Amino acid sequence: MNAAARISWVLTGLSLAFLGLSAAFCLDLWGHPAKAPPIPLVDTNFISTATARMSAADLTRSGGDTSGLDCYVCHEKKKPLKLKLDAEGNVIVDKAHDDIVMGHGRHKRNNNCFNCHDETNLELLQTRDGRQLKIVESPALCGSCHGPTYRDWEAGVHGRTSGYWKRAPGETDKMDRKVCTSCHNPHSPPFPSRQPAPGPHSLHPPAKPPAQPERND
Amino acid sequence: MTSLKTKTKNYLVFLWRCARIAFVGDWRYYSWMGILSIIVLLGINAYARQFVNGLITTGMSDQVSWGVYIANFTFMVGVAAAAAMLVIPVYIYNNKELHDLVIFGELLAVAAILMCLAFVTVDLGRPDRFWHLIPGIGQFNFPGSMLSWDVIVLNGYLLLNVHICGYLLYCRYIGKRPATWFYIPFVFIAIVWAVSIHTVTAFLYVGLGGRPFWNSSIVGPRFLASAFTAGPALIILALQIIRRVTDYRIGDKALLTLRSIVQVSMLINVFLLANEIFKEFYTRTSHVASSNYLYFGLHGYHALVPWIWTAIAFNFVSMALLILPLSKSLKYLNIACLLAIVGIWIEKGMGLVVPGFIPTPLGEMVEYSPSVNETLVCLGIWAFGLLTYTIFLRMAIPILQGRLCQANEGNTAPAIGSGQTPSLGHGQAACH
Amino acid sequence: MSDAKPSSAAPPSGEVSRRGFLRNSAVLASGIAALAASLAPLRHLNGYLSVDQFLQKYYKELTPKEMEKVLDRITREVEQQYQIRPHVHDYKPLDGVEFVYCLNLTRCIGCRKCVHACVAENNQSRDPEIQYIRVLKMPHGSLDMEKGDHNYAPASVPEKGFFYMPVQCQQCKNPPCVKVCPVKATWQETDGITVIDYNWCIGCRYCEAACPYFARRFNWTKPSIPKERLNPEMSYLGNRPRPQGVMEKCHFCIQRTRQGRYPACLEVCPAGARKFGNVLDPDSEVSYILKTKRVFIQLKEELGTSPRFFYYFDV
Repeated sequence: MNAAARISWVLTGLSLAFLGLSAAFCLDLWGHPAKAPPIPLVDTNFISTATARMSAADLTRSGGDTSGLDCYVCHEKKKPLKLKLDAEGNVIVDKAHDDIVMGHGRHKRNNNCFNCHDETNLELLQTRDGRQLKIVESPALCGSCHGPTYRDWEAGVHGRTSGYWKRAPGETDKMDRKVCTSCHNPHSPPFPSRQPAPGPHSLHPPAKPPAQPERND
Repeated sequence: MTSLKTKTKNYLVFLWRCARIAFVGDWRYYSWMGILSIIVLLGINAYARQFVNGLITTGMSDQVSWGVYIANFTFMVGVAAAAAMLVIPVYIYNNKELHDLVIFGELLAVAAILMCLAFVTVDLGRPDRFWHLIPGIGQFNFPGSMLSWDVIVLNGYLLLNVHICGYLLYCRYIGKRPATWFYIPFVFIAIVWAVSIHTVTAFLYVGLGGRPFWNSSIVGPRFLASAFTAGPALIILALQIIRRVTDYRIGDKALLTLRSIVQVSMLINVFLLANEIFKEFYTRTSHVASSNYLYFGLHGYHALVPWIWTAIAFNFVSMALLILPLSKSLKYLNIACLLAIVGIWIEKGMGLVVPGFIPTPLGEMVEYSPSVNETLVCLGIWAFGLLTYTIFLRMAIPILQGRLCQANEGNTAPAIGSGQTPSLGHGQAACH
Repeated sequence: MSDAKPSSAAPPSGEVSRRGFLRNSAVLASGIAALAASLAPLRHLNGYLSVDQFLQKYYKELTPKEMEKVLDRITREVEQQYQIRPHVHDYKPLDGVEFVYCLNLTRCIGCRKCVHACVAENNQSRDPEIQYIRVLKMPHGSLDMEKGDHNYAPASVPEKGFFYMPVQCQQCKNPPCVKVCPVKATWQETDGITVIDYNWCIGCRYCEAACPYFARRFNWTKPSIPKERLNPEMSYLGNRPRPQGVMEKCHFCIQRTRQGRYPACLEVCPAGARKFGNVLDPDSEVSYILKTKRVFIQLKEELGTSPRFFYYFDV
């Protein structure tokens, strides 16, 4: 084949290649990688600002069922209650209050009902040094034993303080400070564990993650 | 004295003739350029997809936010810097043997810098906002940001080389002796500038305290050593190809001078590698994580391990060949050069950019591999670079040989004679 | 592009034969057609860029009138896309304020509610996912982040033997991201927040490489926010929807905090582990913490970034 013919072939081939390429581009023949599985929207529970539980005051404010807070529906006034104790001296919670699970303090140290409740007046709470407090004044009761935590709470550092950081001292309407019982169940105060929200999704999920040894060594 | 109007007209005619000659050649030329054009078109199409859909079409992620684009950019800056390696022996040591070859080296630098600019542009999330970088109009963060330094030095280097080559070629074309003051100072500036472009690029990485894999003073010297190995190696191969496909004479002596440059640079490169390895693995601080990942795998992830060991093997074999007198024979020299180029490309790309991101500063392990689209864009830019360099040579060689000159303006057939074989350069009347 | 237009070799006079001319034109034409066709994907590009967006000036150079026009334009753009009319403001920093964040590592239970509250408040893309906050599950006794687990998914948290450390932008006093941005698209304001002008960023991701805390995120594609979860209270430097190809990060809920409110992550934390406020105010919670707590951790303190995020323990 002489040189001129070679050039002809090459150029003709090139024209055809360009035309083929144009068609391929216009028809969008490639470039559609498999899409990653869609990421579901997170459950709105995970973005709600609700606290772990509701305190008595929260319950009243929200208009919920406060019948459980009215002790003298069942109990008699003027008749002091006697607690039933088991062989080791631990309180046996009566069937009527079986929704209460006692777990206040290690080794069941603080499970005696009348450490906090006033046996002479069931609508009140009592501190160890004899002060009587209303139910809604419960932080003072908690603070009578949990001093450092109470100090932090007063400064707004323990527990959640929502609202406005920009407030003058005493501008309490700009601040929504939760009380102890909004997060801690007074009968079993350790903060409840919960299901975590879903973890992060990577941009290009790997086909299969590598088998790896336990990382926390 | 010719008027400004005539001078401009002459220059425009020169440019026009150069442009025309780029479209003339034999069937090998057309095949080569045709294939490169096809690859460039595939790259343009891939980039159009990326422009529309965003950089999600690449394999990058928040964890590994730089990939092959920046890796190739880093490598090509090195290649561009290495053009200075030809300039030094010629102009400082007065090696006449290499004189004309300097132009080939500088043309390679121009093509390489164009590739660098292309790689950086395709990596941008908003290339439409490029004007934000222009000092005065935009907000150019100089001297704070090393990227701003890089913009200045790369564009400056481009202008320097375009000026030097353009001026020397035009003077040869019009048959005039080039005025020393109009190019020699620029040549010396270019030597220093070449070192600076790669040092500034190194400083892009070194200046990041949050990435201990990069935040090391050895990165700068390592960059230069590897650039001055891979660059001249590329030039050695390119010169032999030029010798093959054109009738431009290139003596073996030139190739052997370049060989000694590659030899010394490769030795330094390997020595610096040994330094790095010792520092990382002897002390074993927690900063070793990225090196561990690269060389041995980490927490079950080991995608880069085969790559880096291949690169190291290539570098060692290349070094051995270069040291031995065996590589004075072109066959072995070519093998050594090819191994060096590939080894250093892997090292600078996958061996530098990617491990800096793995593990992330928060200890997360996310691996990276380029997507098909990303690879097409890279191939497109590589093809563009080769295309550009071929065009430059297609223009420069006839000028240097005297076949394309002002004296033979007006001949209709540009540099193709009446023979059967319209190969480059035969049959045209020489100008001088 | 080598659309070749060669002269034929055969006729010595240099004339081009008709066949040769047709052949050359065919190559040229097909080459140009291929070039045009290669740009075919661009036909899907709509609403990417308007002239106003292209010419918009740098944030710090906008006059109040120009800023109003910009906010109007953004309002229109968001309304067009989401069919919800937003309220877009440009909140300036308050005087005498330097924000600091304190995080109580004894209290954090790792529930990740802060992550998702932030996403909801700040209109982050849901798919692909952008989350400014990353919670690390760390084993007791170590702050080595390589030991951290980002993907824990037990039935309930907290797990015994671990603590949880949420990491977000530390709003460093000496921010490496600000130093490296080539166009000054990110800078630190007087109240300590490091902000990004989303209409100025060129998307080079140098800041993402520079950040030692994995705090910065990039919009790898057009963000997708479900209409029903769009937060219409927006600010220019904060939570307005971002375009494709730009960086974003935690900005301390600038649209809330510059109006005196707490950031969303703090509001949602069930354990009250997060504390935020003005460190220049001696009566603030954060001042109290910095005065009374004994040990503080500033992550990667040795890097000299001087973060405004303090981790501490109670018990």
